[in-house]
Amino acid sequence: MKFRTLVAFVGPSVFMMLLFIAAPLVSVLMQSFQVTQPVMQQIEVETCTPGFLTQTCITETKTVPLIDEETGKTQTTTTWVGLQSYRNLLQMPRVWDAISTGQWGNILQIDFWKALRFTLVFTLLTLPMVIGVGLAIALAVNNAVRSLRGPVIFISLLPFIITPVIGSLAIYWLFVGDGIITSLIERWTGNDIAMFAQAWTIELLMYVYQVWHVAPFAFVIFYAGLQTVNMDTLESAVIDGANRWERLRHVIIPHLMPLIIFIALIHLMDTYRAFEVIVGFRSQAHVISLQWLTYDFLTPDDAGNRAISRASASAMLTMIGIVVLLILPLRRTWRDHKGTT
Amino acid sequence: MALKQLALGGAISLIGSAVFADCAFENDVPVKSLSAGFEAWKAVTDAMSECGNFSAELDQEFRKKQPAAFDANPSLYQIGGVSNGTITPLLNAGTIRPLDDLVEKYGQNLAPNQLIKVDGKTMAVAMMVNTQHLMYRDDILSDLGLDVPTTYDDVLAAAKAIKDAGVVDYPVGATMKSGWNIAQDFNNMFAGYGGQFFNADNTTTVNSEAGVKALEMMKALTEYMDPEYLVSDSTYVQQQFQQGKIAMANLWSSRAAAMDDVAESQVVGKVKMAAAPTAMEGGAPATTMWWDGIVIASNIGDDAADAAFRVVMEGLDSDMVTENNDEAIWLIAGYKPTDLAAGVVATATATPAPPAYPSTTQMGLLHTAVGNELPAFFTGERSAEATLAAVTDAYTTAAKEAGILP
Amino acid sequence: MSSKALAQPLALRVASGGFLAFWCFLAAFPIFWITVMSFKSPRDAFAANPADVIFGPVTRASGQGLSALDIVLGGTALIFALRWAFSALPKLIAKWTPPAWIVLGWLVGAAVYALAFVLAFVGILPVLLGAINGIAGPLGVPLIGLTTEHYIAVWAENAFYRNFINSMIVTAGVVTVSLTVGTLAGYGLARSGSNLAFWLLILALIFRALPHSVLVAGYLPWFINSAEILRPIFGEISPTLYGQPWAVIAVLVAINQPFTIWMLRSFFQNIPTELDEAARVDGCSHFQAFRRVIMPVMWPGVITTGLFSFLLGYNDFLVTSLLLDAQNQTMVPAIAGYFNRETTTTDQVEAVAAAVSITAPLFLLVMVFQRQIVSGLTAGAVKG
Repeated sequence: MKFRTLVAFVGPSVFMMLLFIAAPLVSVLMQSFQVTQPVMQQIEVETCTPGFLTQTCITETKTVPLIDEETGKTQTTTTWVGLQSYRNLLQMPRVWDAISTGQWGNILQIDFWKALRFTLVFTLLTLPMVIGVGLAIALAVNNAVRSLRGPVIFISLLPFIITPVIGSLAIYWLFVGDGIITSLIERWTGNDIAMFAQAWTIELLMYVYQVWHVAPFAFVIFYAGLQTVNMDTLESAVIDGANRWERLRHVIIPHLMPLIIFIALIHLMDTYRAFEVIVGFRSQAHVISLQWLTYDFLTPDDAGNRAISRASASAMLTMIGIVVLLILPLRRTWRDHKGTT
Repeated sequence: MALKQLALGGAISLIGSAVFADCAFENDVPVKSLSAGFEAWKAVTDAMSECGNFSAELDQEFRKKQPAAFDANPSLYQIGGVSNGTITPLLNAGTIRPLDDLVEKYGQNLAPNQLIKVDGKTMAVAMMVNTQHLMYRDDILSDLGLDVPTTYDDVLAAAKAIKDAGVVDYPVGATMKSGWNIAQDFNNMFAGYGGQFFNADNTTTVNSEAGVKALEMMKALTEYMDPEYLVSDSTYVQQQFQQGKIAMANLWSSRAAAMDDVAESQVVGKVKMAAAPTAMEGGAPATTMWWDGIVIASNIGDDAADAAFRVVMEGLDSDMVTENNDEAIWLIAGYKPTDLAAGVVATATATPAPPAYPSTTQMGLLHTAVGNELPAFFTGERSAEATLAAVTDAYTTAAKEAGILP
Repeated sequence: MSSKALAQPLALRVASGGFLAFWCFLAAFPIFWITVMSFKSPRDAFAANPADVIFGPVTRASGQGLSALDIVLGGTALIFALRWAFSALPKLIAKWTPPAWIVLGWLVGAAVYALAFVLAFVGILPVLLGAINGIAGPLGVPLIGLTTEHYIAVWAENAFYRNFINSMIVTAGVVTVSLTVGTLAGYGLARSGSNLAFWLLILALIFRALPHSVLVAGYLPWFINSAEILRPIFGEISPTLYGQPWAVIAVLVAINQPFTIWMLRSFFQNIPTELDEAARVDGCSHFQAFRRVIMPVMWPGVITTGLFSFLLGYNDFLVTSLLLDAQNQTMVPAIAGYFNRETTTTDQVEAVAAAVSITAPLFLLVMVFQRQIVSGLTAGAVKG
């Protein structure tokens, strides 16, 4: 295919991606090296606010931004600060300090490292579980009576299609406070249980939720893959005396390998960006994820402040993390690409 | 019944088109408002929509949009709903207009108490006050012969008595969800111990004796709370009350009406209101005073501002208050304080009186820093001093980024 | 697996069946449970005892509920309605729509069915059964507490149908535009072996990895001020992008492009090159070859990819909540509005009812397209 034809085909798609993804990305990159702040001034202000029946007035010195006379907008200055925002985020001195004194746990009190720890564990731990559970369901469905498959596939897909915010809330309600499952466990064990009082139980629930939510995606793709397993290979394996387990390992899994890589790729990307699960489970006090950290920096407080520079830095670091994680599965795509041309 | 509700729904869905039932004038300029979405705002915007050509956006995430939307030219909204926290960015950016001439023209019914003045200019019109104060189960306290707690030491003693008597497992509730809520709880307690949040040079003073005492008192209270207190927001505490699981909480006055809601509550008539407890002898009640009110954008034509203000006056009139008396502690003429308002009145009229929540840029930054760093203290990862040092660090970093500190 | 050599021992079959049953229970239970909650009064819905949630004593005490008669008659009607949907409905649709329009036929069929279902079970049956209950004596006394008041509150009083329509507009826009742009790009990338194509794919992948919250926060100031920014170029007609459904559609399409072109590329790679090469030999240009030869055979892959686009557009929260105003709000952010800082327990149950309402169209969609998803994926929409 000629270059110009290729451009004609991919043009609209690339244009949209450049406009809505690449352009913001470049601006994020720039902002991570800059700090934009309003020009501040100190003024004496009297403020009157209501009590219940009377007003209270106080006079105090306030630091407020300077407003430009001509444009009517706040005056701002933008300074190039190099890696300062990254430094604020990573807090390396505290990290070295923790390492040199041997108190490794202290590293996890810094927001970024805390978020990175959870995000990595969350991503890497759920990956094999999603693939395993997905494969198990696919094999079981493939094994089921044909008339049952339709309804079973339908039910299996539910956790995947349900809106993530709602899915995580549905599970949250089952466990929070005296949610029905918590009280059920309490009745069995006789202990008072609070699932949302300590980090590890929350994390456990989040893993369960994530596997519940993503395994159906892996399942449906594996199930589709199983439909194209070469029966001849399978039967010759039987003739060679391979048992069920060996057939699974040597025939079926290699056949599904490209799909496993595809799922791994998608799962790594989506889970590394975990965000809704933090909001849904309200786990901010105990565990946070990288995207949640970025989002938190960007959320203005009551006074309208947002830490845009640190948010940009944390977004860039998140991206770098994903790229590193993706290199492995992508090497294969590169080989395939070279192979087909 | 279903049919009646459907008809009602149909009527309400006409918001935005011309329904001028009880409005004194017919509004012909399109007016939009952006505010939070709690019951009081629903009541006020419903009353405003009677004038026609009005549409309300009730959004609890309004803070994310409001500064930018008012900064646009022309402003995307004419009317904004703010509180003493959220007015700051609008005030700082100069995107809301002084209302003195409009108040003079149309504001005959406003009480002087309602006018929020900054440097002598009226910048906002308040409609209600809100504060966190003590709510308690009257039946439990009187059964055990306990007095209504007036200090936090009393609260601890009462909590112990209730727990020992086995009335409820967790006598105390608190809005200690990590983030905004727990920070506000700390602010209350810190102010209660006489703490000042900032030095003159904008550095913070939370890492002080008052700060440590505040944290220790909060920790002492958590002994009597449901262990899941770090996910407990106002709604959760309210539900705990309604389901009879807790006996005392320092909760927002806007939640008071829910205690007597027959459809939700199992403790109707049993929850009473009192002043927020004091943290130290002779101190003010450990809480802060809040107001909610409206502002008018500056990036709009004078005609539009005129129309918008008239619509607002219609929304804040006595008729609206009479219809929604218990939805809030209104500042508007016609409000009749009921038992539910007792806590607010006692808190606001205490001497010394609790401070108003400071509407400054620094406070916003500090609030965020406190909200993010405090949970580590309650999960036991850090000592009180280390936590307050971490708060100071986080605040300093953010304040430098915002240009507050050099 | 029909071959005799592959026949399985009973133990394995039982284990596999048991596992499947267990999984189905896990998959369906949370959704089933919020459905039950949405029909109860607030006090029942958040009760600690599961039996209270299911039987709803408080709801029943207020006189709302199902009698034994209701359960038997309503249940029978429900079973028949569902069985008809799986057996007779597909045949009916296949009979009445020409093969080329089968997708549209299914969509219309499903929508009509959903409408009839809601009408029958919410409109006609309650009235009918209410009348029968009145004369049925003890059989007509409510056994299980059940109230539809939250649904009425959500759909009528809170005008949730407007959010529903907005959701439909945004989702339809996202699916259509995303597939149109995506099939072209996917085909181009599949047929080009150049390194540029490869790096475009990798770039798309990196784009996909970007945290959305960053992108969205970047859009907000531009969207709000767009009228001011664009005025020098377009003059007075320059629009404010904030609050415009089509602007949100464009954003969601862009965010969704990487996944779409990856899926479609793998799918096109599985269509033999000989097909379009033959057309090219006959004198067709690439575009003509695409239109005449590829388009007729690409539907299974497009339907599968379209379904993923649908899920993205329909389920999105971050973009829609920040960039749309109240008039154009879609359903997911509207639900989040119920969970605000000043919410009541009734609000929460209404939110649950709204959440169940949101899930219903997804149900229908998967029911309809389930076979196509599997066949589309089998046909090779995913090959890594």
